[in-house]
Amino acid sequence: MSAEEGATAAPAGRPVLAVRGLRKRYPGVVAVDDVSLEVAPGEIIGLLGKNGAGKSTLIKMISGAEVPDGGEIEVAGAPVHIGNPRDATALGISVVHQELADVPGLSVAENVELGLGYPTLAGTLVNWRKLRASAKEALGKIGAEIDPAAPIASLSVAEQRLVMIARSLSSYVRILILDEPSASLTEPEVERLLSVVRTLSDQGVAVIYVTHRLAEVFAISDRVVVMRDSRLVGTRPTAELDRSTLIEMITGPALAHQAPVTHQRGRAGGREEKKEMLRVAGLERHGVVEDVSFAVGAGEVVGLAGLVGSGRTEVCRLIFGADKRHGGKIFVEGREVRIRSPRDALRNGIVLLPEDRRHQGAIGEFTIRENVTLATLDQNRSVAVLPHPSRRKERRVAGRYVEQLAIRGSGIEHPVRLLSGGNQQKVVLAKWLEHGAKIFLFDEPTLGVDVEGKQDAYESMDRLASEGSAVLFISSEFSELLTVCDRILVLVEGRLVAELANEGLTERDIINTCYESQVSHV
Amino acid sequence: MSTAPPQIATGHGADVQRPSAAHTLVREVPRFALLAALLVTIGVFGALRPDSFLTIENLKSILTQAAPLMVVAVGLTVVLTMQLLDLSFAAAIGLCGALAIVLMSQHGVGWELAVLIALAAGAACGLMNGILVSYFGGNALIITLATGTIFTGVEFAVTNQQTIIGGVPLKYGEIATHQTLFGLTNQVYIAAIVAVLGWLFLAQTEFGRYMHAIGGNQEAARLSGIRTRELKVLGFIIVGLGAAVAGILLTSAASSSTPQVGAPYLLPAYAAVFLGSAVFRLGQFNMPGTVIGVLFLGVIQTGLTMLNLDTDVIYIVQGSILVSAVLLSRIGSGSTA
Repeated sequence: MSAEEGATAAPAGRPVLAVRGLRKRYPGVVAVDDVSLEVAPGEIIGLLGKNGAGKSTLIKMISGAEVPDGGEIEVAGAPVHIGNPRDATALGISVVHQELADVPGLSVAENVELGLGYPTLAGTLVNWRKLRASAKEALGKIGAEIDPAAPIASLSVAEQRLVMIARSLSSYVRILILDEPSASLTEPEVERLLSVVRTLSDQGVAVIYVTHRLAEVFAISDRVVVMRDSRLVGTRPTAELDRSTLIEMITGPALAHQAPVTHQRGRAGGREEKKEMLRVAGLERHGVVEDVSFAVGAGEVVGLAGLVGSGRTEVCRLIFGADKRHGGKIFVEGREVRIRSPRDALRNGIVLLPEDRRHQGAIGEFTIRENVTLATLDQNRSVAVLPHPSRRKERRVAGRYVEQLAIRGSGIEHPVRLLSGGNQQKVVLAKWLEHGAKIFLFDEPTLGVDVEGKQDAYESMDRLASEGSAVLFISSEFSELLTVCDRILVLVEGRLVAELANEGLTERDIINTCYESQVSHV
Repeated sequence: MSTAPPQIATGHGADVQRPSAAHTLVREVPRFALLAALLVTIGVFGALRPDSFLTIENLKSILTQAAPLMVVAVGLTVVLTMQLLDLSFAAAIGLCGALAIVLMSQHGVGWELAVLIALAAGAACGLMNGILVSYFGGNALIITLATGTIFTGVEFAVTNQQTIIGGVPLKYGEIATHQTLFGLTNQVYIAAIVAVLGWLFLAQTEFGRYMHAIGGNQEAARLSGIRTRELKVLGFIIVGLGAAVAGILLTSAASSSTPQVGAPYLLPAYAAVFLGSAVFRLGQFNMPGTVIGVLFLGVIQTGLTMLNLDTDVIYIVQGSILVSAVLLSRIGSGSTA
């Protein structure tokens, strides 16, 4: 149907999609800078780049989720304005997101045809037979043999993803964007997915395939497009590339490094004498974290590196008792501890500064004071025996941290919701400093934080380590791990694949490790 | 937490927007809109029925009638603060009230023991709700709808769906009706004490703070080491106790028990608490607001009755007031949903 029409509408060689000088900036950052790209009908483009290179923003602009600040988009030779996702759909641009957007309670057929308007009997009742038949046809087109009547919840993740692809093709499509389509798929499932993509390409659909997995890029793409630091840094036919060249394109030239933030701890060295503070052995959570073991010493800042979905956040949540652990042991100062809830972790001096501050870190409606004292309310009583918090004591505590951590706001009675990301982060840190801890898990503390806020975060971690705490630091910006950490652990697909001492280490070494340790799919 | 503590300047004002005068006005006016509405309503009824409405006797009557509603609304405020619901308390009122009457009337139990057993039954109802919602992860709306049906079933089993009159000790009747100070009945003082205790609990204790935290962001509260599950159970127990006290007051005032005596309190209790969230702390449930909400409903009910309006009109007006209250509190909280 429509797919073929799309192919015939654009003569061979004429790009079905062309973007020129596309630009997008968010407050404080340029996310996509002057990106130009042409895609021919039936072409499969592998879009690669590190975390935060600008891939997602580029896709969002093409699919109408974000409006560009500058530049042009042409579809089949005609300039277009894509103001919202519906515009994109009308132009034949379809995206299958990494997160499954299916409706769990419905059947496969209902999900495939969702949003199309179901076929009806007598204008009101759903014509189930026709619905199933047309869903079956859509699924057949991508070679997916899935029962249209089956409840979607009964399918595997891979099958659900195929259903999502079928849905995206059920309307007129000439440009299909797949965002990390192979995430959480097993090898045979990935093969099936790739053959579906090939079928679509044969039908003339242009495919933009976004992934971190190099093997898939080599297996399927005609051309590789690499983004780095918001710019498009290379476009090469896949046949001309080898693995190491591609990794180099992704990584870029060795960067001039920031001055390391280790002044409080002193320079690296003598690390072996550090007393063990935290050790995990065989940490396990089905499908997410597999057999992860490592140790962090007192006075050490250890980085946790990995691509999106590598299990970094999950490792920290397991240590903190936020999620259920399916295996493994946790030791604090050499003694095994039982951690089954955040309360258990706190009792053992472990604290977590979550990645998602807005939803997990702070209570937005609470004031700075109420957030800072949340974990230590019982130490701020007016009378020791009564569970009545003394506002006076609370104010003293909160005031101290506002001063010490330079939390900016109109005062300690300011709702945390109105603070900037960096200041919210400081409020969460203040809560834990007041509670007292010796093991700090920082999950992306610099995400969405301005330069000054980042420097503050580095200084905080450095100071904590210098005072004898153990710090685990997750960041998608590997350069900042190099700035602060003594050692860097690399996670790939839930497994710990390397432990790198930060001596002469470069960002490229870390990225190489991330890509080269991938289990070779396909 | 009803009054904002004084602000302390810290000298860092860099990235804070000072609210403009107009903005302040928009924010501050709704805070007292309900209070103003209460005064206007009293004025209107007073003008329409000058001889009967603005009298001490009528004030006493409004307060007396409002007492059972006050007690359940205070409990309900506690669970709503945690963003939970309880639809079973109306059934629990009936169960607890009937239980006390049956024990005294048919089993010769003393009034003191009957009161204790009724309170324990209310707490048990709440415990059951709490465990089902908090530990088994049931949806509070559906679970309490279902348990409410169970409570009513138990009440029917205890009373055979009969009105029970006679054999109730005088002392039990006096719990609600005995006149103590200023010619007011006991139940007014009991309701006042419950409201003050509720305020102390929610605004002045660690538990109350934690419950506000759970309502604000449950996951962040859990990751801060707060015992979210235990506190939710405690919240449901408090509602259950409130229902028991209300059941005792209602059956004490009547010295008898009629089937499903709590049923008419379901909507007014929610109405009062939501009205309350439109005063003082906008968009947030708070005990002083709940008290105002209960009084407002009491004034409206009495006023409309004095105007000889029919029950249908009273229902329509009450429902409309609830809708207005919910919308008013949303405007205040700046939410767009």
